[in-house]
Amino acid sequence: MPHSPELRRQIEDLALRLVVEDSDDGRPASVWIPALEQIRDSALREQAGPVSAAATAILDEINAAGEPDDETGRVAGVLQEGFTRLQQALDLEPQPVAVPDLQISQDPELLSDFILESREHLAAIEAQVLTIERDPKDAEALNSVFRGFHTIKGLAGFLELWEVQKLAHEVETVLDLARNSQLTITPAATDVILQGADYLRRWVTHLDLTLQKQPSAAPPRDEPLLVRIHALAAGRPASEPAPAGLAVMAGAVETPPAEEAPASPAAPARAARRNDSATRSETMAVKVDTAKLDYLVDMAGEMVIAESLVRHDAELGALKSQKLQRKIAQLTRITAELQKTAMAMRLVPIGPLFRRMARLVRDLSRQFGKRVEMETQGDQIELDRNIVEELADPLMHMVRNALDHGLEPPEERQAHGKNPTARLLLKAQHQAGQVVIEISDDGRGLNRERIQSKAIERGLIAAGDGLADTEIYNLIFLPGFTTAAEVTNVSGRGVGMDVVRRHIEKLRGRIEIRSTPGSGSTFLLKLPLTLAIIDGLVVGVGEERYIVPLFAVREMFRPAPETIWTVQQRDEMALVRGSLMPVLRLYRRFRVAPRSEDPLQSVLVVAEVEGQRFCILVDELIGKQEVVIKTLGEMFRNVAGVAGGAILGDGRVGLILDLDRLFKEKSADAAH
Amino acid sequence: MSSIMLSMNEPAAASQTDPRAGKYLTFQLANEEFGIRVLKVREIMGLQEITAVPQTPAHVKGVINLRGKVVPVIDLRLKFGMATAEYTQRTCIIVTQVQGESASVLMGIIVDGVSEVLNLTAAEIEDTPDFGEAVAGQYLLGMAKVKGKVKILLDIDRVLSTQDLHNLNAIVH
Repeated sequence: MPHSPELRRQIEDLALRLVVEDSDDGRPASVWIPALEQIRDSALREQAGPVSAAATAILDEINAAGEPDDETGRVAGVLQEGFTRLQQALDLEPQPVAVPDLQISQDPELLSDFILESREHLAAIEAQVLTIERDPKDAEALNSVFRGFHTIKGLAGFLELWEVQKLAHEVETVLDLARNSQLTITPAATDVILQGADYLRRWVTHLDLTLQKQPSAAPPRDEPLLVRIHALAAGRPASEPAPAGLAVMAGAVETPPAEEAPASPAAPARAARRNDSATRSETMAVKVDTAKLDYLVDMAGEMVIAESLVRHDAELGALKSQKLQRKIAQLTRITAELQKTAMAMRLVPIGPLFRRMARLVRDLSRQFGKRVEMETQGDQIELDRNIVEELADPLMHMVRNALDHGLEPPEERQAHGKNPTARLLLKAQHQAGQVVIEISDDGRGLNRERIQSKAIERGLIAAGDGLADTEIYNLIFLPGFTTAAEVTNVSGRGVGMDVVRRHIEKLRGRIEIRSTPGSGSTFLLKLPLTLAIIDGLVVGVGEERYIVPLFAVREMFRPAPETIWTVQQRDEMALVRGSLMPVLRLYRRFRVAPRSEDPLQSVLVVAEVEGQRFCILVDELIGKQEVVIKTLGEMFRNVAGVAGGAILGDGRVGLILDLDRLFKEKSADAAH
Repeated sequence: MSSIMLSMNEPAAASQTDPRAGKYLTFQLANEEFGIRVLKVREIMGLQEITAVPQTPAHVKGVINLRGKVVPVIDLRLKFGMATAEYTQRTCIIVTQVQGESASVLMGIIVDGVSEVLNLTAAEIEDTPDFGEAVAGQYLLGMAKVKGKVKILLDIDRVLSTQDLHNLNAIVH
């Protein structure tokens, strides 16, 4: 694509002025700024990266030089020199699209910083745009969106990502108009801005993949989008190909960000609080290498152990000094606090994830022609960073399901005497050391009959099974199960709920369903606070100690003679509360010498894996302990049945059992 | 002991042509003397309680807690097929930093006792004689003769290669 004659003409005009007016010493350098800005902007529009970069460089130099009169000679020099570069740039073959090789040649560190920062900005933009949609006059939100695009534009220019820079620049222009009250942000405008953000996100993903040396094609330039943005800036209505009938839904209301969700306080207080949180996140964030964090957590853990060794030291205890006791108590408090803080550093609030869902709800509600008001509660609840990341997919599935299956169209709702605007609530809260995330809607609720008949049809249950509601509801977690009459691109293909459950279980969480026909359903995700710590049941086998993850433990007891039954002299089953379950003797599996081979002298631990229960036979129960999970490293990668290690209270390493593999490979052993 | 080690960590002064020249930590196994590069050594510690890991070869003794890190420990006697010996007061664990499959990892080796740190010149180091296939020559950097005694210089990265272990696992299963 050659440069347009217009750009060439602009530059030539400037050259002429430069030659003619150069002799006029009295003129300040700033008179050149408008012309240069014009050139830069046209160059940006035309993807003429080198030209816009050269123009920007001159502008920067002029700005840096400032106004003093005695400097004009120098400024003229700068102009002359800069101008030569500008002309050279013009003569260069234009390089509209940054080729992937070019990006690789960029400093990978700078590029990854760019990726990280852009993602943060894009997330903030999305949340704030939704705020603006609700209140177009929210100057703070508008500014924040503007700043986001502006920063991305600047960084992209620095990294020579011209496509990114160009789009960010265009959107920024629109936002600037809005900031100056020359343009009102309509829902249509919001769409365009969000699409712009989407386009930038595609670029960021592409860069990320390229950086990881994975094949990825640069997103093609979205001409229609650019045209729409231009139209917006020019004040014409964006001619978006909106599907007929959905225009009505443009008013679909949401309660996006966070802070104001829990209660509904008076409006002024609301604005103030949002400001607070904005400043807080800007001033307090520090990026830290996770390896350093892990090391800090390790050291804090070691300190707790060292402290406990000192506290329980017999010689020290014999001193019976009250003063010493007080000092030790103080030390104990500080170490505990230190460990808690170190642990908390891995945690991030769930709010941003909820805000991403707000975007999804907005898009889907328009697509389905449903009116949905989304509310979030407990945005400040913190979870392990990894959990929040892993949670995105399952949460998205569930929100989609709720919008597709759960919520009725406005007419149907009205016919049932409900508010035509449906409610979707995302709520996070602490409960007994766990975080419970609730996704509830006020739609139809799960259809017990339909699930049941579908399950019978597929031979999953028998007609007269007489299952309880929860058991019926849990059927939707089976792979390939769907009750949707037709498959849409959103849901109904039966991939979904089983994936959701797998995800949640991978995070060591559980999922529960509550539903009332006609008035809605609620999905409860019960998750651990962090993946780094686990509540463990410490058990002893011979000289060794193992840690059983407590979330999988259902009960434990000393077996009676009538509990354990052999099957063909090979396998053993235990009869627990009327149901038979396989028994795994841990000492046999791990080939360690037990204290006793007699089950009556041992303890049975009933564990549950993917809905199936089995018993583990151990010598004794030692206690419950919260432990930090550590990997055993690549050396023990292939050791089946061990999920990792943990430092126990006395400083020794205990092995954490991998119940999943223990159970599955138990069945494999039996097959030999 | 580790503080002594640190002072030894300065770069080898003599830049001989032989890349094997430099400082070595020597230790005993049975009646033999071995040496490993000082730069590979992180720490020397007394024997402590080792947690056994199931389904691993006999020479893998298990894991220890090294200030919050879980570090695997190998009994070098067993690894080299020597007779087992009772652990004594002199027995210790040398924590080494070796090249793993993806990153460098810490690994402990149990040895009968640590001797000294030697600064070996190229003249003192010889290539390993060809023993045929019976001796695991691939672990060896060479031989050093110091004051009439022979020290076996180990390529500790190779000795502790986890790839080996995984191959072994595959055979066992």
